[in-house]
Amino acid sequence: MDKLIEYLPILIPIIVLELGLMIAAIVHILRHKTYRIGNRTIWILVCFIQIIGPIAYFVFGRGDE
Amino acid sequence: MNAFIAFFKKEMMESIRTYKFYILAVVFVLFGFMNPIIAKVMPDLLGSLLPDGMTITLSEPTALDAWGQFYKNGSQMGIVILVVMFSGIMANEFAKGTLVNILTKGMARPTVIFSKLAAASIQWTISYLLCIVITYGYTAYFWTMAGVENLFISLLGLWIFGELMISFVILGGILFRSLYGSLLFTGGLVVAMTILSIFPQTSSFNPVTLSTMNLALLTSGYEVSKFLSASLVTIVGMIISIFASVVVFNKKQI
Repeated sequence: MDKLIEYLPILIPIIVLELGLMIAAIVHILRHKTYRIGNRTIWILVCFIQIIGPIAYFVFGRGDE
Repeated sequence: MNAFIAFFKKEMMESIRTYKFYILAVVFVLFGFMNPIIAKVMPDLLGSLLPDGMTITLSEPTALDAWGQFYKNGSQMGIVILVVMFSGIMANEFAKGTLVNILTKGMARPTVIFSKLAAASIQWTISYLLCIVITYGYTAYFWTMAGVENLFISLLGLWIFGELMISFVILGGILFRSLYGSLLFTGGLVVAMTILSIFPQTSSFNPVTLSTMNLALLTSGYEVSKFLSASLVTIVGMIISIFASVVVFNKKQI
């Protein structure tokens, strides 16, 4: 636990960036109805897969407005 | 030149509006933070995962471990994300027919390729630089940079490799007109080069060397001259790929 606190200054930006990407993807999913492939449930679940999930959504799932 | 600047601006704006640039930058910034921290905590992590009574001796992490993480992340995940991000760079234009209007108004076809290449290169360069700066900062803070040799050439190598990937993606997109064609073309070429790299003799002129031998270069386990000749081959390959893109695109029906 001491170690964790020691590294906290570096861990915080990592957590913020990762959460930010995930939240951005989920907000985008909820605000758009159509996706290139898949549906809303699948993409929301995919978004929780670490860092690659939100990226996969923006690259493959994001439909054209 | 005006057409180039206009189309370049359009490309950059498209990347920003479709979140491509943000994602690329965020991913590389994340890598930048993760590289030194993973190298730092890896021994503790391994130690805590082992069952009681079992001990392994791990040497103290050094700056080299952080750069090892950098090249592992950068050359695998980083390059994959770069290729996936830009896989639609030509294919989407073909699919939507958005090039027809511009080309019939008299814009030269090679300008399309060069401005796309420039836009993609700039995004790759900025993301890569962010990753380097963050990794370098934390690595220098945790450890000293002593014992790390040829860092600049080694970093430059991976950058050139990324540029080669961008030119492959564009060529693949023009040849096959589809996102998946572009991905498969680039992936196929990388696999072919990787298979070639099984033979150690080929390493001095194989572009894959630029993404696999970086760490060996830092410890002087690989010759700089071989690395430089591989870089030269890569640059030539990139020019050939761009030239082929221009030739094929000039004859392509939009």
